[in-house]
Amino acid sequence: MTDELLAVEGLESGYGQLQVLWGVELHLHEGETVVLLGSNGAGKTTLLKTLLGLICAWHGSIRFKGEEITHLPTDARVRRGIVYMSEMGVFPDLSIEDNLDIGTQFLPRHEAKERITGLYEIFPDLGHRRREAAGSLSGGQRKMLGVAKALAAKPHLLVMDEPSAGLSPLFVKEVVQVLAGFHRAPDLSLLIAEQNVTFLEIADRVYTLDGGRIGFNGSVGEARENDAIRRAYFGLK
Amino acid sequence: MLEYSLLAGILFGLYFGLVALGLNLIFGVMKIVNLAHGDFLMLGGYGAYIVFTDFHVNPLITLLVEIVIFVLIGFPLYYLLVPRLQASRDPEMLSLILFFGLSQVIEALATLRFGSSERSIPGTVLGDGPISLFQQTFPVAWVVSGAISLLAVGAIYIYLYRTRIGQLTRAVMAQREEALSTGIDVQRISAIAFGIGIAGAAVAGVLSPFMMGSITPSMGVGITITSFAVIVIGSLGNPLGTVAGGIIYGVALMFMQTYFSSWANLLPYLLLIAILLVKPTGLFGRRMRNA
Repeated sequence: MTDELLAVEGLESGYGQLQVLWGVELHLHEGETVVLLGSNGAGKTTLLKTLLGLICAWHGSIRFKGEEITHLPTDARVRRGIVYMSEMGVFPDLSIEDNLDIGTQFLPRHEAKERITGLYEIFPDLGHRRREAAGSLSGGQRKMLGVAKALAAKPHLLVMDEPSAGLSPLFVKEVVQVLAGFHRAPDLSLLIAEQNVTFLEIADRVYTLDGGRIGFNGSVGEARENDAIRRAYFGLK
Repeated sequence: MLEYSLLAGILFGLYFGLVALGLNLIFGVMKIVNLAHGDFLMLGGYGAYIVFTDFHVNPLITLLVEIVIFVLIGFPLYYLLVPRLQASRDPEMLSLILFFGLSQVIEALATLRFGSSERSIPGTVLGDGPISLFQQTFPVAWVVSGAISLLAVGAIYIYLYRTRIGQLTRAVMAQREEALSTGIDVQRISAIAFGIGIAGAAVAGVLSPFMMGSITPSMGVGITITSFAVIVIGSLGNPLGTVAGGIIYGVALMFMQTYFSSWANLLPYLLLIAILLVKPTGLFGRRMRNA
């Protein structure tokens, strides 16, 4: 077993008086890809936003590389290597180049340039259109830019909120293929909140979130055999 | 007459672009409406007036000092007012009420201190005699004010498009939530934009005795309405559109004053209504691809 990267214990949070997360326990190791399955309203986005400090944790703890980060501001968490890709994922009014540049905001200038050059090699379409506004891209291309922008930050943990949202099945496969290229990269772990089971292709482990509580926690094989998961996410009876 | 109106319109347009730029920058970054914008401009004008009459200091020197002072005022004022507004359920509506109240307080205090009569600074302090541009002669004060407005707008352009903080500011303007998610320190960026916004108003205020003819404590409301007309023409939240909006407004104003002078005061309201009815996104609003 590799070193533990993220440890979430007894996490509770919500909005105003409304509690959404109830004692969430989640662990992720270095180089691991974890898919968090949950239907609409299960609390996936709330959990990811709490991990990033965009929503305050009410109770419980979040440790990253052994360091307590539960009450750190978002920018401090991003500096430590936790990067969030929201459903939107990009700044539509800004150019593709600006989007990637902002992704590298916490890297030294020379490293940032190298990083962006490397990303243009992985995503050549973005390189060809670097001066164009992100809003001019199609939904699938915008999602790729979101992935590239998140990777530009040189994350240790990339936290993705429904990368399949709004995409056709063809584009979903494309996103999965791109992420597969980073699967088991030594210094990159992925936490992907999804309801699309296509992402299980690149997962090492699976959690399910239901009503703000963790339900299932196990390997992909175990998830595929689990009756409740088969009914809820694979559409099988 | 036509050439004169056009050139004078461009000079005034550059000035009006600067007048409205700060309001649009603050709206773009914070999505709050600073109804006290015109009153900050008025304070900038009185600052120049007092320093000139009491200490005989050229307003162009006062202008540089006021930039620093208003940026420094803007930071604490931002942290005092805006985060509280943004924590409320309806920040945009509450910002209208709060900044309207602030506007009234500033105007009342200025009336107590300076009285309600008009004050002016002779245009000759910016240079003697008329100046010729394309065979048309204009007061030196207009040309100098137009040039300073252009410089100030250029400085804000450099800040927005050639600096890292400016790039982050544009990110906050584009998508505040996404900016937060990306780890941008949105409060710090907003405080800087707020300071720059009211400093821009102060610079326009220093030039106001020359472009408006005089200053009074009650001038703020009219200036704020004019600023709204300019930014609605150029698109809400689009700072560079504001400059184009300012020039369109300035040229329209000069043509109105030349050919339909009795209707000129209606211009800001007519333009506001016309643009909102015909193209609510403003002339320079951008569309985003949806798929």
